[in-house]
Amino acid sequence: MPRTIQILPDAVANQIAAGEVVERPAAVVKELVENSLDAGARTILVRIEQGGKRTIRVGDDGSGMGREDALLSLDRHATSKIRSAEDLRGVGTFGFRGEALPSIASVSRLSLDTCARGEVLGTRIQLRGGMIGSVEDVARTPGTTITVETLFFNAPARAKFLSSPTAESRAVSEAIIPLALAHPGVAFALESEGRSLLDLPPAADLVERVLQLWGEETAGKLIPILAQDGEITVRGVIQRPDATRPGFRRAHLFVGGRPFREAALLRAADRGYRTTIPEKNRPWLFLFIESPRGTVDVNVHPTKAEVRFRDRKAIEELVERGVRAALEVPESAATFEARPAPPVLRVAEPPPRRLSPAETTERQMALFLTRYGADAAAEGSGDEVGHQPGEGEEERGAPPRLWQVHHAWIVAEVRDGLLLIDQHAAHERILYERVIGRFEKGGEVSQRLLFPLTLRLTAAECAMVEDLKGLLQRMGFEVEGFGGDTVIVHGVPSPHPYFDSERCFREMIAELTVGSELTRAARNQHERLAKSFACKAAIKAGQALMAPEIQELFDQLFATELPYHDVHGRPTTVRLGLGELERRFGR
Amino acid sequence: MRFTITRQNLHQGLNAVSASLPSKTTLPVLSNILLETTADGVRISGTDLDVAVRIRVAVDVVEQGSLTAPGKKLQEITRELPEGPVEVSTRGEQIELRCGRSHFKLNGLPAADFPTLPDIPFDRGWTASGSNLLALIRHTAFAVSTEESRPVLNGVLWELRDREMRMVATNGHRLAKMTIPAGPSQETTTQLIVPPAALQHVQRLFNESDTVQVARGGNHLGFSAGGTEVYTRLIDGTYPNYEQVIPKDNDRFAVVERKGFESAVRRVAAVASEQTHRIRMKFEDGRVEFNVLTPDLGEAHDELEVSYTGEPLVIGFNANYLLEVLRYVGTQEVRLGFKAPERAATLEPVSGDGEAKRDYLCLVMPLRLVD
Repeated sequence: MPRTIQILPDAVANQIAAGEVVERPAAVVKELVENSLDAGARTILVRIEQGGKRTIRVGDDGSGMGREDALLSLDRHATSKIRSAEDLRGVGTFGFRGEALPSIASVSRLSLDTCARGEVLGTRIQLRGGMIGSVEDVARTPGTTITVETLFFNAPARAKFLSSPTAESRAVSEAIIPLALAHPGVAFALESEGRSLLDLPPAADLVERVLQLWGEETAGKLIPILAQDGEITVRGVIQRPDATRPGFRRAHLFVGGRPFREAALLRAADRGYRTTIPEKNRPWLFLFIESPRGTVDVNVHPTKAEVRFRDRKAIEELVERGVRAALEVPESAATFEARPAPPVLRVAEPPPRRLSPAETTERQMALFLTRYGADAAAEGSGDEVGHQPGEGEEERGAPPRLWQVHHAWIVAEVRDGLLLIDQHAAHERILYERVIGRFEKGGEVSQRLLFPLTLRLTAAECAMVEDLKGLLQRMGFEVEGFGGDTVIVHGVPSPHPYFDSERCFREMIAELTVGSELTRAARNQHERLAKSFACKAAIKAGQALMAPEIQELFDQLFATELPYHDVHGRPTTVRLGLGELERRFGR
Repeated sequence: MRFTITRQNLHQGLNAVSASLPSKTTLPVLSNILLETTADGVRISGTDLDVAVRIRVAVDVVEQGSLTAPGKKLQEITRELPEGPVEVSTRGEQIELRCGRSHFKLNGLPAADFPTLPDIPFDRGWTASGSNLLALIRHTAFAVSTEESRPVLNGVLWELRDREMRMVATNGHRLAKMTIPAGPSQETTTQLIVPPAALQHVQRLFNESDTVQVARGGNHLGFSAGGTEVYTRLIDGTYPNYEQVIPKDNDRFAVVERKGFESAVRRVAAVASEQTHRIRMKFEDGRVEFNVLTPDLGEAHDELEVSYTGEPLVIGFNANYLLEVLRYVGTQEVRLGFKAPERAATLEPVSGDGEAKRDYLCLVMPLRLVD
């Protein structure tokens, strides 16, 4: 019998690998830009034509390669990035499989110009369908430029699946954005047919990079997040609750500086936002996860879009906790100005150099050092304008001056300006956390009534009351069925002196029975009840308050976990900074 | 319209009336007072549509007429006018004041724009002594409810029984009831539910020595004495049967020295929750023990000697309700009655030497912690 199994020639193997790694121009760009970053480039210029279908050119000022290295780089599994399987655990560079360049070369006409730093003469290698055509000397500055032309010229089936040039250009841009976010200190540019699609000069930090990409309105409404658990750290910036919108979101996750996708982590972040934003809203997130060597496997997917954590639950919890903690601080409150000053996380970028895995981590950490680092004070950076440490504590310590205006809002004078507080929203937050506390730690005190409330309800409402009897009791409502459609309330909570218990009870039961946006957004029965009660029982707009009551409301609000956000996903507080005031008066 | 009045009479009249003007209103004429001449003088009226105050002053009228004018402005002006006769006159919709060398003109609105005050047949009403009326109001009106869902509880129940007047007020958490043996003899009991705002005007405008004429006209009630009249809308509805909730079977009684007891409640309440003001008391033979425990704040323990009869009892209250009621009970000693920790407690005055006997009873509903 004739032998039918054969070892494939390299060219074919590369084409097969290309099928996994290189499915469209954007993937080529991603691989090449990652190579540039791994080479320590400070400036990366990408030019495409026809959405990359005709030409893709990625040039950098990285370390470049000598001729031998350059030739070797076109062999499969030739890489400078790892040396042994051992190195795979804790990979700090983007590439390491050694597949990308040969794969791309196998499905295109590729030319590689490179010049190692310190050398005068560079090398130009030209390939066609993965076969080396020529190797010659070329004069160029240190760095590497790779030009990919007529992608998939020898794989017409794949070429057919490419979209329009516009769609492919957009995909290229989307491939660069995560890398640009992870490397704010590196300049990126993307040009298509001579038109600039991205122009990102070196930025001081992540926030400035976001500002370059999406403008002040986005960057100004970001709040920093930092959460640490043992060796795992989550840092980054997330959208302020009042800036969130439904629909499209930007959510970029990085581990060790490497972009990845993980729906479960986004869900964890969304959980952290719970009650502070309307349920449909999708907050923007830029989160950098640092996990020690060996706890994360990035070698799951050829394009490395997915990673595997040894303990994903722990990371999810950390993300949720980090988001929640970020929403506790005054910076998470809505501000008066449409374009507030972006949060400050400045740090000087380290000098250009080839990064080792450990150094990558350090560099990512450094992004946030002036914001959180212990040595921030020692550095004495004068540009920490946007950050007021301990503002919340100060608010609690020396009582600020408070006024009620239009029987609906409270104005508070604080160190750096004014807080405008919605009395109803603030009281909702207070009552919500109080009721949740009652469910967890023992019941509310119930005021017995001289004239028990005899309430006629619908059959569904009666059934609801019967179901919730135990929980209602813990909230302070002592209820008993009276047969038929009547219930009797013997005792009620007294959350404030203007409380109308009958109205609150009726409205709450009606809402729980029929359902509302508010109750549907709740995670469980406890939350549902607490939200509904908070909403119905809270002091209404229009209620005049006496000075001690205003003070009490203010103090209680800032004793809650999330004082800046009510339970509908609206702000309780809007900040009006002195800076903004001065700006408006032209001072 | 033209008349001359002393500065003092004008100012007193304006003071009495302008307190009834609404502080905020969408009807401009309501921030005005109405000035009308009558056969023997002038009437000054003000209203917020719920309650109205009218003052009659005897003056020499030169020319009949009527006009409304800004009440607060007139009040501010007359406060600072020099003593002496003030000549008040109108020209069109302007009112003029002349007093010595002072001369003011204010824009007014036609009298026809002013709401008509209810017609109260005072000759077919009854009388109450100022001291009785004021005592009833003072001891009950504090207890009215502010909840909108039970409007009847927003008012004070005034019952005219056979040779007895009684006022009751409650917000469902505590109740105050006072009865005074006075009034006309009648077979049926008349029940009136009076807004507390009107009673405040009665307290403000009438003296203990006045004999107050009271009469009902339709859904309104009028009070009148010495040229001063207060009109009010009555609250519709049936007052709940308060007699039914007054415990008849309380069998545990404590008699406490009021000042000492109040003071103890006040000091332990300092540690009570700002929201519920809950304190707990344990009554047993010869003593009462106070306990307050507020997580995040601290705790308080105290003890007083009291005379107590009955089974020991632990009961919780909103300290504010207790303190309020104790203050109105007023006597040196107060008797507290209980049945069970979830049942109403009674507080009554114990008349000592030289203290007037009062038929006064307060109920306070306890607070319960449901676990």
